[in-house]
Amino acid sequence: MCLQIVNNPLQLDCLERSPSSPAASSGSVSLGVFYGTRKEPPPPFRLSFPFRCLQRVDALAEMSVKAFELVPAVERDLLMGDKARINIECIECCGKHLYVGTNDCFIHHFLLDEVTSSKGKLSYSPQKLLHKYLGLKKPVAELRAASALERLIVLCDGIVFLVDMVTLETVPSAAGGGAKIRGVTSFCINENPVNGDPFCVEMGVLSSKRRTVQIFMVYEDRVQLVKEVTTPEQPCAVSLDGYFLCLALATQYMILNYNTGASQDLFPYNSDERRPIVKTIGREEFLLAAPGGLGMFANAEGVSQRAPVNWSESVIGAAVCFPYVVALDESFITIHSMLDQQLKQTLSFRDGHILQDFEGKVILASTKGVYVLVPLPLERQIQDLLASHRVEEALILTEGAQRNIPKDKFQILHKRILQQAGFIQFGQLQLVEAREHFRKGQLDVRELISLYPLLLPSSSSFTRCHPPLHEFADLNHLAQGDQEKVLRCKRFLISYLGEVRSTEVANGCREDVDTALLKLYAEQDHDSLLDLVASDNACLMADSVPWLEKYHKYFALGLLYHYNGQDSAALQLWIRVVDGDLQDSTRSDLYEYIVDFLCSCSNQDLVWKYADWALLKNPTLGIHIFTKRPVCKDHPQLNSDDVITYLGKHSQALLLYLEHLVLERKIQKEKFHTHLAVLYLERVLSLLSQSPTDEQQLSSARDRLQSLLRESNLYRAQSLLGKMENCEQLLLERATLHGKLEEHDKALHILVHKLRDFPSAEAFCIWASSCRDSAYQQQLFHMLLGVYLDSTSHPGKSRTSAEGGSGDLEMAAVDLLNRHGEVFDAARVLRMLPEGWSMQLLRPFLGRAVRASMHACRTSQIAVGLAHSENLQLLHDRLKERKKPIFVSEKKGCHLCHNTFSEPDVVCLPGGVPVHTHCVAQRGSGTAGLPTRIHNNSNNTDAIFPLTAQPAAAAESRAEQRARLLKQQRTASSSISQLVVTGRKPLLAPQSPMVQCV
Amino acid sequence: MPEGSKMKKPDVKVVLLGDMNVGKTSLLHRYTERKFKDTVSTVGGAFFLKQWGPYNISIWDTAGREQFHGLGSMYCRGASAVILTYDVTNWQSLAELEERFLSLTDTANQDCIYAIVGNKADLTDPKAQLSHDSIGVSEDQTQCEEEMTEPQILSACPTPPASPESLSGLILHKQVAHEDAVAFYGRILRYKGLEDKSSLPPEKMCFETSAKTGYNVDALFETLFDLVLPSILRKRNENQESPTVDLEVCRGAGGRRARSTCC
Repeated sequence: MCLQIVNNPLQLDCLERSPSSPAASSGSVSLGVFYGTRKEPPPPFRLSFPFRCLQRVDALAEMSVKAFELVPAVERDLLMGDKARINIECIECCGKHLYVGTNDCFIHHFLLDEVTSSKGKLSYSPQKLLHKYLGLKKPVAELRAASALERLIVLCDGIVFLVDMVTLETVPSAAGGGAKIRGVTSFCINENPVNGDPFCVEMGVLSSKRRTVQIFMVYEDRVQLVKEVTTPEQPCAVSLDGYFLCLALATQYMILNYNTGASQDLFPYNSDERRPIVKTIGREEFLLAAPGGLGMFANAEGVSQRAPVNWSESVIGAAVCFPYVVALDESFITIHSMLDQQLKQTLSFRDGHILQDFEGKVILASTKGVYVLVPLPLERQIQDLLASHRVEEALILTEGAQRNIPKDKFQILHKRILQQAGFIQFGQLQLVEAREHFRKGQLDVRELISLYPLLLPSSSSFTRCHPPLHEFADLNHLAQGDQEKVLRCKRFLISYLGEVRSTEVANGCREDVDTALLKLYAEQDHDSLLDLVASDNACLMADSVPWLEKYHKYFALGLLYHYNGQDSAALQLWIRVVDGDLQDSTRSDLYEYIVDFLCSCSNQDLVWKYADWALLKNPTLGIHIFTKRPVCKDHPQLNSDDVITYLGKHSQALLLYLEHLVLERKIQKEKFHTHLAVLYLERVLSLLSQSPTDEQQLSSARDRLQSLLRESNLYRAQSLLGKMENCEQLLLERATLHGKLEEHDKALHILVHKLRDFPSAEAFCIWASSCRDSAYQQQLFHMLLGVYLDSTSHPGKSRTSAEGGSGDLEMAAVDLLNRHGEVFDAARVLRMLPEGWSMQLLRPFLGRAVRASMHACRTSQIAVGLAHSENLQLLHDRLKERKKPIFVSEKKGCHLCHNTFSEPDVVCLPGGVPVHTHCVAQRGSGTAGLPTRIHNNSNNTDAIFPLTAQPAAAAESRAEQRARLLKQQRTASSSISQLVVTGRKPLLAPQSPMVQCV
Repeated sequence: MPEGSKMKKPDVKVVLLGDMNVGKTSLLHRYTERKFKDTVSTVGGAFFLKQWGPYNISIWDTAGREQFHGLGSMYCRGASAVILTYDVTNWQSLAELEERFLSLTDTANQDCIYAIVGNKADLTDPKAQLSHDSIGVSEDQTQCEEEMTEPQILSACPTPPASPESLSGLILHKQVAHEDAVAFYGRILRYKGLEDKSSLPPEKMCFETSAKTGYNVDALFETLFDLVLPSILRKRNENQESPTVDLEVCRGAGGRRARSTCC
């Protein structure tokens, strides 16, 4: 079915892909067979009908990679001319030397020179050096070069013998050892011998009749059997690596260690049905032909470490040319990748019967000619894969080649391939994969940005990489006008740029990246736009401004201006938005934002310039510019006086500002306080002058005025008082002002007589004396009481002012006394009270007064008692202290001079510390207190001197005794004073009765 | 395939065995790529290197076809775990495991772990029809539908891996009961001479899965990996004791150590 769709272009494509193949040149490519080698089903149709043919052609292109080229090396005329019966039997290649064995027992020796044409095409020019008849009339079955020995090992007519590499003369047997092995069916050379002798070659030999493998050492002129191992069946193919023989037996493959004799069965295989293949492909690893046309890998332990490749059933020869496995069957060369086991290339090749690799060079031979399979440069293979959108394979190939390429070169290649792969997937909108590849390949993001028209800034110096990483002109080309695709790509770029902008990928092109991102955000109405412009960014103004204007992102533009230090431009723009000149609905509270902005703006000129606008718009919020300025060191503060001057015409704002200064920041400046008070007063007065007056407003205005007048001590009360002198409605305020001026009588007079507001009068007393001592408070209360009583005691006077009010005042006086009895001096009150008042009336006051006085009396008695007892205690302590003996010895030092005592005379300091007399005299000459002096008459300096019972005392005269007593008395007094100063609280004066006690 | 997977040496080997068309490749595919897609009959074998934490586990997907039967014991050589897979709608597929495949495991490690897996559970069990793989669900649906429009290439298969019946929710007859699998597991242990030892219980080692819906697939592989962990560690220890210095390992370890010290 597939083939029916295939048409001419396909054939052309196919021919073009194997131009040097002999079969192709003879024009006999059979498409059926060609396709038959494929194992995958054809890919599904994805396009609509008109594209189908195209898709089919792609399908074929998709399956093959051009990994190798078949180049003729030695052609028929050079070998056998037109002699039809002569065929090539075996080949060997060693450097430039090519040896060909034929069925007429000849060895031909050629020199192969590589020629590269001006177009880079490789060809071989063979030069025939020699040909030699071996004289056995049988085909030359196998040829192997032992270049270190300059020998060719030849198998012909079942005999292995040595031939000189140059002359092709048979090497005669040396004395003492033969140079021939007879009865050989096949042999192999150990490329990796355990024996390290460079001048001998290790060879595994299969004999025709015995079930053995023999290991020979080949020297320049002799061969030597070193080992013989038997096999369970007759072996028919052998390969040797290290100690390991890999054998194809009649029914199975096996691994045999000729050193230990250990064997390992691999898998069954019928050697009658198919010719077995055993190839050493690396260290202890073999490639085997397996049933079902598989190429199996096996290592010396009998484990397969790579998945098998899928050959045809009739494979004749195979070789590995990393990363490919090349196999030859009757009509084709198939090339599989060892990396993904897929068939990569098929070359038509007729009559092929030899495929061997020599030092990495793969050489094939048909019966009549020799060809070299030249690998194409890896890069070209990868590019071919990419060109057919086989991203995975290209990457596998690239990564697989890592070990064959120098590290730095590999990294460059790998990155580029990843980038290309990313673009291919991007083109197919496999965005997740594309992103991964861009990221891994460290793509210069501008390559991606440049796909999107207009995104790169006009000033960008970027030019796309050459050769190009992709085939797209731009996004529209890629999307073919599908807006959905365009949108997806844009979203992809947004997230990708967002991801890379802070990484090192963006180094050196941050302007381009950020500007592109800004444009995308603006265009897509993306939320992150504001984050971008407000935070650290490198957006270019020249590009960003017109773009943001185009999309009406004025708020964002303002932020960008701000980020670039153009606050003035930002403010102008935002003001136009608030005023409705420009439309941008990003922020509905843009006005508040501007206020906040000005509030934290460090440029004072800007504040002065735009605050006016803000205050006009909304004084209450606008004043926040001044009141909410953050207080910190590096933020310049505005001078309050300047602000007040500035706010002159915004009365409401001014009021708020002063309130802020006085009430919130509690600035203690008379000017502000007075100003605020005046403003409050003006407000009250203006409200009063309105008719009808708004009671609610008035009362709140008065409350504020009153509370300021009460709380503040700084305003100029006198001038305020002057302003409200005539206003009879503001009596309370006036009373407060009088109180501030310490004119308490006036204040109380107003409160009591004019306002008749007794609770306020009381409150006034408490308020006015709140920070004063109790005496002051008492005085105030007495004053108030006096005001109450005055009017009653001068009935005539009071009656003229307030008829019948004296009763009220009396009651107020009684209430005052009963409520605040503790403040008053009861004795004074009793003297003041009119005679006629009943006890009952004043009972609470009197009760409290009596109780308080009693309390005071008893408290003082307790205090006296306590003082007495403490005094006694101290006395006791002192006596105890003085009774103690004082030790003086030569070993003890004086506390003042630190010398030892040599004389018995010492002076005792309070606390019983003995010191030298002269020390005290020296020290005490200026001081008042004299320490105790002890006269020690005894010679024993270690003696004890109890002060109270001095042994020497008896010898003293009365006069001396008196003098001593006097001295003791003084000492005691001073010691007490010392005690008082150092130890205890000063409860006792020095002139205490204790002195008399002593 | 994950990048660089060819370069790393696998720590341990897990092999999938079973008759053809029981869904070995699909199981592996579901696990590694979180997708279910049409596969073709595996030729020879294939393998996948799974990066499981710090370990590399190679999972070998073998060919079920009789033709490649001889290769089985080679794949099993040195295996630490073998997943014996059958098709719950096909009694013969379980019988084949015992007749043909069990002997292949003779080359596996002595302490090899065996799991019996009945695939295609979605065809018989309604609870396996629910998608268990949140990632690949929608993709699967579209993919399956796309493939539905294609000519059925695989119509020759006795039980096609993605049969259209399952889409319509038709329940097929379940030919292999869970108990059959458990019994078979017992016979494996007897065959291996492991029955007396503290071998793993059959409830833990007999699974019913659906590669199509993802039912039980992750559980299967994760359980096995957990169980082969001791084997990995032992192998690593042995490598450390061996006189050969594996430069790759050393470099890797050195790098890891360097990293850990700086953190």
